[in-house]
Amino acid sequence: MSLSSALNIAQSSLRNTARQTSVVSRNVLEASNPDYSRRMAVTTASPGARSVEIQRAANEQLFRQNLAALSAFNGQSTLFNGMERLNLMVNGVDNSTSPATAIGKLQEALQLYSASPSNKNLAENTLDAARQVVRTLNDGTTAIQSFRTAADQEIGTAVNELNDLLSQLETANNAVVTGTRTGKDTSDVLDQRDAIVKKIAEYVPVSTYTRADNDLVVLTKDGSMLFETVPRKVSFTPSGVYAPGTTGSKVYIDGVPVALGTGGNTDASGRLAGMIQLRDGVTTTMQSQLDEVARGLITAFSETSPGGVLPNQTGLFTWSGGPAVPAAGTLVTGLAGQIRLNPALDSAQGGNPELLRDGGANGAGYVHNTGNNAAYSSLLIGYGERLDAPMTFDPAAGLESSSTLGDYATSSIGWFDGLRKSASSAADSKEALAVRTAEALSNETGVNIDQEMSLLLDLEHSYEASSRLIRAVDEMFAALLGAVR
Amino acid sequence: MKTTLVSTLSSSQSLRYSTMRTQVDLVKAQKERDTGKVFDSGIALGARTAQTVTFARDVERLNGIVDSNGIVSARLKATQDSLTSMTGIAEQLLGVLTANASGDAAPSVTRDAGKSALAALTSVLNTPFNGEYIFAGINTDVKPIDAFASGSPAKTAFDTAFQTHFGFSQSDPQAASISAADMETFITTALEPQFLGSGWQANWSSATDQTIVSRIALNETASTSVSGNNDAIRKLAMAAASIGDLFDANLSEAGRNALVNQMVGVVGEAIASLAALQSETGVVEQRVDAASDRIKVQADLFERLIIDTEGVDPYEAASRVSDLLSQLETSYAITARIQQLSLLRFLG
Repeated sequence: MSLSSALNIAQSSLRNTARQTSVVSRNVLEASNPDYSRRMAVTTASPGARSVEIQRAANEQLFRQNLAALSAFNGQSTLFNGMERLNLMVNGVDNSTSPATAIGKLQEALQLYSASPSNKNLAENTLDAARQVVRTLNDGTTAIQSFRTAADQEIGTAVNELNDLLSQLETANNAVVTGTRTGKDTSDVLDQRDAIVKKIAEYVPVSTYTRADNDLVVLTKDGSMLFETVPRKVSFTPSGVYAPGTTGSKVYIDGVPVALGTGGNTDASGRLAGMIQLRDGVTTTMQSQLDEVARGLITAFSETSPGGVLPNQTGLFTWSGGPAVPAAGTLVTGLAGQIRLNPALDSAQGGNPELLRDGGANGAGYVHNTGNNAAYSSLLIGYGERLDAPMTFDPAAGLESSSTLGDYATSSIGWFDGLRKSASSAADSKEALAVRTAEALSNETGVNIDQEMSLLLDLEHSYEASSRLIRAVDEMFAALLGAVR
Repeated sequence: MKTTLVSTLSSSQSLRYSTMRTQVDLVKAQKERDTGKVFDSGIALGARTAQTVTFARDVERLNGIVDSNGIVSARLKATQDSLTSMTGIAEQLLGVLTANASGDAAPSVTRDAGKSALAALTSVLNTPFNGEYIFAGINTDVKPIDAFASGSPAKTAFDTAFQTHFGFSQSDPQAASISAADMETFITTALEPQFLGSGWQANWSSATDQTIVSRIALNETASTSVSGNNDAIRKLAMAAASIGDLFDANLSEAGRNALVNQMVGVVGEAIASLAALQSETGVVEQRVDAASDRIKVQADLFERLIIDTEGVDPYEAASRVSDLLSQLETSYAITARIQQLSLLRFLG
């Protein structure tokens, strides 16, 4: 061994240390980037020289777990947040604008009116309460349908973003594959690719596997192909404006439709499935319950003719199919949007509210108070009793098929809040899982600055030692050359 | 080399996450402490929310019925008062008639007593209460009784009945020749149909026999007014009208005596019927009060149930708030400590 070879080794050690220091500094720089995986500069003894190889911390298992948790959390939180918005839009704060509350107020007004039927103000008061009921139903329908329209647009945006992410994935994956083939350091592109997969997992649940040359294949949970060498098409045609009964178009991933999730603790995973469940599941059921409430109201307030000579016709409330009363026990889609006050009774439309007391919104054949007596209360009491009598409802609306109208309206709130409760607790637990798996993954693959600092100390020492060596060799050479001179 | 690692990111983020969760919980706990109710009843109760919404609505409805029963009670009270004053009128008239039968008073005094009794009766029956004529049956926007004045259908019908029966009018001198028997026949064949028969509704009353029906509880209705067509009122009106109109110096003494004797009986019957009517009204009043009391108990029960389901224990809520506060403080303290805990501080 010569002095010059000692110098060479010391120089290579300096180079290695510099390389390792650059890794440390890169690690410190990216310490707060959740998508960054820690690099380790590992010195390897390759034949001839000791060199530094850069490894990337990774944990496939934890990564997959985190992907699943991310999808589940995103699906659940999309559903829950949507339901919170729906709740406020349709039922209001503390259910104050719910049809159930409005019906209660109508019953109260009706009771007060039946106690002094000659009081025209109370007739107006009852009409006003009825107007509120109509408004809650109409507004509820509008809110639900505009919610569906918005959800449809969001799905459209999400599908575009997903397609965009998939094409980004193609670029990243190609870089990884070429990098691996040519033996370059692929850490950065791998980070990028993982970050993109995480983002995709927010939209749809994915499972991944890697093939030769680190080539990634991405499938959805139910097996349709999302990405294999090239991105597969996610297609969706927005339906524009929604009306009750509009069927939303499906989202196709590689030709397979995304399934509709069920339940409050939903099996829908990923934001897309969550939005589809909101658009096609929760809202349509809610709409049909409103429709059934509307049908119940029209039926309860329908006019009879004395002696039942003529068929029953719509009274206080009517609809686009009026004056016929909707068929009993059968859901009429969109009825809650069509229900309105009968113009014959509505003073704002030139009607006479006292027809509620006397009957006759449908002509003289329906007048009960033939003596035109001011304190005639039988019809009013009769309406009150009909509201308290059990009615038949269509089981298609997802609630009990026989109950009083008021109970039916509150059951609808109960149904919704039951869903909301399980959605809320599921969102909490799925959020916790997503946070925990992210934490575990980060612990496995993230950067600890303290560790990097202590590594830096080591590096400083080795750097110092190497430079000391160089100086020693230099001094030795100097001594040697001095002796020669 | 493989070591257990805690990444800097996850250690700071888990701190942030737990602090944030505590803050969210704190907001909820504070609201629960302030309102005494769960933060979001829908989320806390789930499907059971239906129950509390039903209870809350039923409480309001029941209170609504209590309110409307208030209106009904007031009407019944007014009816009761009016019946009392009618009894007073009847008794006064009876007093005058009895005095006359004992021969003490001048005919004009008796006649005026009849007239004033009829006027008082008409005024009582026609007094509106809360915008309604309470004795009008259900035809409450029309005065139930026409005034007995010349030209009115009642007076005309009365005069015609007299004319038809006797062939001359009340003021005709021939009236002095009417015998007791004649008068009695007149009363039974001509006068009674005018009041107790179909003549009453044709000429006197626009009230209906049907009375106001009210729903006094969720499934209980009651007839809550008295019609002016009641027999007691008809009889009193008959006595007062016939005395006030016929009891004249023009009429023979025998006729007058026969009239008084008949009418004493009629007024007596009216007083008895009025008493019965008063007690019937009292029974209805009691039913309404009892219904209101029952409903209030029910509403209280529902309110308690609402508190049971939606309410939170205030002590528990308060202690949770203080727990969360101390937890949050600890968490802040730890965050500050951990953020200081860095190797960097010792290097250099």
